[in-house]
Amino acid sequence: MASANKPINTDVPEKDVFALHFLQSLSNLRRQNTFNSPEKTNDRVKKIKKVAYVSMARAAGGTNRLWSRALLRRAAKENNKVVRFPRRKKRVTCLRRRRSNRRDPVEEEEAERLRNLVPGGGGMEISKLMEETAHYIKCLSMQVKVMQCLVDGLAPK
Amino acid sequence: MSSRRSSRLRQSGSSRISDDQIADLVTKLQHLIPELRRRRSDKVSASKVLQETCNYIRNLHREVNDLSDRLSELLASTDDNSAEAAIIRSLLNY
Repeated sequence: MASANKPINTDVPEKDVFALHFLQSLSNLRRQNTFNSPEKTNDRVKKIKKVAYVSMARAAGGTNRLWSRALLRRAAKENNKVVRFPRRKKRVTCLRRRRSNRRDPVEEEEAERLRNLVPGGGGMEISKLMEETAHYIKCLSMQVKVMQCLVDGLAPK
Repeated sequence: MSSRRSSRLRQSGSSRISDDQIADLVTKLQHLIPELRRRRSDKVSASKVLQETCNYIRNLHREVNDLSDRLSELLASTDDNSAEAAIIRSLLNY
């Protein structure tokens, strides 16, 4: 299996896909009366933040990315739910980080910080980690743009 | 059962990524990070790219936090400050 020559795809959906998922989730929050109580601000902020990440993970292709799977799994665990993902057709080789003898262009200690920042980064091989990082960064900046648009729209003129 | 195990071994051998592909990914990351995009002509070291990537991700996380704060304030009030605000609120079923 010549996986070494396959082009790596890090395309993300358009901004409106992220917007749609985020608005749907916010609307659900509204239905749960999250915005009515003036006191519990921290709760509200935490819920919005969580919804931002979860809707981003869903918009970005839910179960097709390791980072989004890790994010959704983490969120479900916080809700005490069990998440089952459909079996991926291509088996992901999640190698334990091996003491590699070959000279890596990327040092493991530097990759460690990145692993801590990207959801699910801990189990990934370095090349997979970088691919996931590229996708994660694109999705994060989309999500930020969507949220900024909402803030701008709602803000007093 | 044994065939599954041997196919996993086979896969881990063939999925060894070439240094070229890693260099390619480093370049891809470099183009995504605003700090480094200006220096596209210069060759930036892989460790610098990783460093800036971490910083960029942290910044994005921070922005999500700030924007969540802002949104929380704005959504808690029900004033319609503008036509846009009214539309957004109606989208959210206010």
